[in-house]
Amino acid sequence: MNDAELVDYAKTLDCIHCGLCLRTCPTYQLTGNESSSPRGRIALMRAVAEGRLDASEPGYGAELDFCLVCRHCESVCPAGVRFGEMMEHARSALAAAVTAPLSVRFVRWIGFRVALRSRFVLARVHGALRLAQRGGILPVLGRAMGARGQGLASLPEIPPSAERRLLAPFTAATRTRQGTVAVLEGCVMPEMYGRVNRATVSVLTKLGFDVLTTRESTCCGALHAHNGELDQARELARATIEAFEKLSPAGSETAQVVVNSAGCGAHMKELGRLLAQDPLWAQRAQRFSDQVVDFSQFVAPRLPASQRLILEGSGEMLRVAYDDPCHLCHGQGIRAEPRQLLDRIEGVTRVEMRSSESCCGSAGIYAMLRPEESQAVLAPKLEEFAAIGAQCLVTANPGCQMQWQSGLARVNSTAQVVHIAELLDRALQP
Amino acid sequence: MALSGTARNELKRLLGPRGVVDSPIGRLAYESDGLALIHQAPEIVLLPRNTAECAGAMSVLASEGVPVVGRGAGTGLSGGATPVEGGALIATARMRDVLELNVVDRYARVQAGVVNVDLTQMCAEHGLFYAPDPSSQQACTIGGNVGENSGGPHCFKYGATTRHVLGLVIVRADGSILDLSEPQYEPQGYDLIGTFVGSEGTLGIATEVTVRLTQKPAAIETLLAVFPSLDGACDATSDLIAARIEPSAIEILDKLTIEAVEASVFRAGYPKDAEAVLLVEAEGSEVEVASTVRDVTRIARARGAIEVRSARSDSERKKLWAGRKGAFGAMGRIAPDLYVADVCVPRTRLKELVRETTRIAKEKGLKLANVFHAGDGNLHPNISYDRRNPDEVERVLTAGREIMALCVAAGGSLTGEHGVGLEKRDEMCLVFNDDDLRAMTLVREAWDPERRLNPGKLLPIRGCREARGAHAPSVGHGR
Ligand SMILES: Cc1cc2nc3c(=O)[nH]c(=O)nc-3n(C[C@H](O)[C@H](O)[C@H](O)COP(=O)(O)OP(=O)(O)OC[C@H]3O[C@@H](n4cnc5c(N)ncnc54)[C@H](O)[C@@H]3O)c2cc1C
Ligand code: SF4
Ligand code: SF4
Repeated sequence: MNDAELVDYAKTLDCIHCGLCLRTCPTYQLTGNESSSPRGRIALMRAVAEGRLDASEPGYGAELDFCLVCRHCESVCPAGVRFGEMMEHARSALAAAVTAPLSVRFVRWIGFRVALRSRFVLARVHGALRLAQRGGILPVLGRAMGARGQGLASLPEIPPSAERRLLAPFTAATRTRQGTVAVLEGCVMPEMYGRVNRATVSVLTKLGFDVLTTRESTCCGALHAHNGELDQARELARATIEAFEKLSPAGSETAQVVVNSAGCGAHMKELGRLLAQDPLWAQRAQRFSDQVVDFSQFVAPRLPASQRLILEGSGEMLRVAYDDPCHLCHGQGIRAEPRQLLDRIEGVTRVEMRSSESCCGSAGIYAMLRPEESQAVLAPKLEEFAAIGAQCLVTANPGCQMQWQSGLARVNSTAQVVHIAELLDRALQP
Repeated sequence: MALSGTARNELKRLLGPRGVVDSPIGRLAYESDGLALIHQAPEIVLLPRNTAECAGAMSVLASEGVPVVGRGAGTGLSGGATPVEGGALIATARMRDVLELNVVDRYARVQAGVVNVDLTQMCAEHGLFYAPDPSSQQACTIGGNVGENSGGPHCFKYGATTRHVLGLVIVRADGSILDLSEPQYEPQGYDLIGTFVGSEGTLGIATEVTVRLTQKPAAIETLLAVFPSLDGACDATSDLIAARIEPSAIEILDKLTIEAVEASVFRAGYPKDAEAVLLVEAEGSEVEVASTVRDVTRIARARGAIEVRSARSDSERKKLWAGRKGAFGAMGRIAPDLYVADVCVPRTRLKELVRETTRIAKEKGLKLANVFHAGDGNLHPNISYDRRNPDEVERVLTAGREIMALCVAAGGSLTGEHGVGLEKRDEMCLVFNDDDLRAMTLVREAWDPERRLNPGKLLPIRGCREARGAHAPSVGHGR
């Protein structure tokens, strides 16, 4: 592979080196080091493409790995730099060109090739983790592993198997029927947050939608793409598209695909681009991507103005803070809808966090791979959350939910962490 | 002189392993500031966390005779923070603490690496703000603002950085510390602070800055006047100045800029069919604002504005400004690279000089967009180019020089707010003669006798006669 293919050179040229992205970058915030900033990373990529830097130089891969791919830099970049795409390309090309140590390759193989692609394996892994948690082994094991094990030690409690069941293939609308939608069940989602999936379906049925799910796809491939496993990501993309196409047989109305995980949603909205070079799939992929909607994006405009949302509680107002998942605000540009929905719930006072658009450090599997940095990224947000006196953190992405749960637990906070679908479901009378 | 191994170890001991960057990759990321045309990797990058660490590092560098360049966020557009060969870079990225906030006396003492917008956000809840608002405010540092004496749209009313700096802590070239942090409302004796602001890192490294905070006005109104010609917008500005109408900001964006902004994340809702828009902000009491709005509307209409409207909400107001502030960057969509010129002209001659700059670019086959602080007469002709085309680069540089010469000859100045740095160093001769420059050199040497701080920047290295010989523009020098 020549140097030029290691990076998407044309895209790096969009950067005019203005530096406006520096302050938003969590890794620059942590280190103050420009090679850990978006502008710095782009400069490194350019240097590789121009033959001034050897990509096998360990520092290069290290800077690519250190990035959370939160894409905050994209939201503030006036030149329209597409950092996420550049990063996917650079990581994937680097993985192909430079052989990682055997141990890393083994872990990646297990994770990406085996676990994420099989419901069976996912269920077993989570089952085992729960047993280890209940038996008190996991925290001990995690601590024994040192820094790398912190992720395990502070993993939120894995729900009992009764809660880790899958959604029904079909759930009928409970009110006057408005249409049919499909819901992405996800890979890790049913294991960790089956209740969020059920809340999602429940809200949709209460709004008058029949809900379909498919068991033929497990993982949409978002995690693979973000970590530079582009070939596998394409394979999983094709499987996902095919599975959802089957839900809307020719002649029937094409159901929109509602996604309650911001990371998956952002990725699925871009499958058209991922498969653009594949003549057999490019069109199908684009058609599919156009059908994908985020949960809030779908619900906000369809909630009748007359519909009251009431959160029954202690009688006191619940102070909630909404934390924008990176792949919802920066990846999909969705900021208003979740807030509109929360503002309609009676019994809830919404308070803004100034840092709501900065990354919480979850970033897919980042929190597992680099627990120390991940927690350092969350730290200032935990402080702000406490300072504004919020009692409940609302998110729209499972990774963030996990990250906040373990982060708040570490500081002994009693605040709850919920997905916006859960709160809406509670507030929406049947 | 190269940095010895002992010195490197000493620096690592002082600043900790994370405070020293000397790997080839780490250094590569610091090759340029916002002026990407010039690059030079530093020998070593140092990231002190406070004044003591900075002073310690500076002593080590002094004993080694190594040149030192200060750096904030590296958003400067004149190469002020570009490293020098074999030199060290001292960056303030880990000096981001607010040390004191005094809302009664309305000042704040901050570390030099605090980002401009963070300062303003921090005091917002007390009804205060930090007035200088460069378009790069979401990233640039207070230290960098001090280095460049930066301005921004609202500096039309409030004045540039120098009017808002009340105190400084400075680490000098030899590593000694000069503590001038007590807020000074009137300079006593020689005005050291005034001398330091705008010195572009040639006199010392500021580690702490005491800044004046300004009270938020009771009322604000933002007007957008839409013009069918750029001339009309320029004329309206000249009229506003002549009529002594004092809004807090007067900005002009031309058609090319509007198109770029509307295609970017900073989409502001500027009408795409306009040839130019005038963005005006009025601040003060309700009565003052209402009267300014009436005057501006009348004058804009008289100069042919097809529409004059006010921002209907706070969020629309913010959007209009975000669009203006994102304009440079948004131009990056037009070509891979962007040269931002920065000159001042007499405000009575705006129309004519804007036309001339456009002509210069056109003659050289270059694409030029105009977005500028019209109220201050501070033009920013933006020329887009592709650095991989050496011929085009040369044409851009020539156009830049011609534009500077033109404005100086018309009674304007070389730089409005982006500083001299490397880019305009030799053009200083257009404005100053050898005697002037000698006086400046004496000031510089009083602070830094060895001239190790940001060498090769700001003041021409050779005498002006030689510099003029190098690329003499056809226009005579200003004085
Ligand atoms: C998109 C864009 C828009 C811009 N808009 C404006 C604008 O509206 N108005 C304006 O005035 N400028 C503007 N600029 C230019 C630039 O942002 C300013 O000059 C800014 O003040 C530089 O701050 P910085 O922290 O990036 O400093 P740097 O670029 O890192 O440094 C600037 C200079 O100051 C020196 N310096 C830095 N820190 C210190 C310190 N602690 N002590 C002493 N010297 C120091 C450096 O050596 C250098 O000479 C813009 C730039 C961009 C990219
Ligand atoms: S904001 Fe965009 S153009 Fe500017 S340095 Fe960052 S990535 Fe490059
Ligand atoms: S994606 Fe996030 S972590 Fe990566 S460079 Fe951009 S802002 Fe920084």
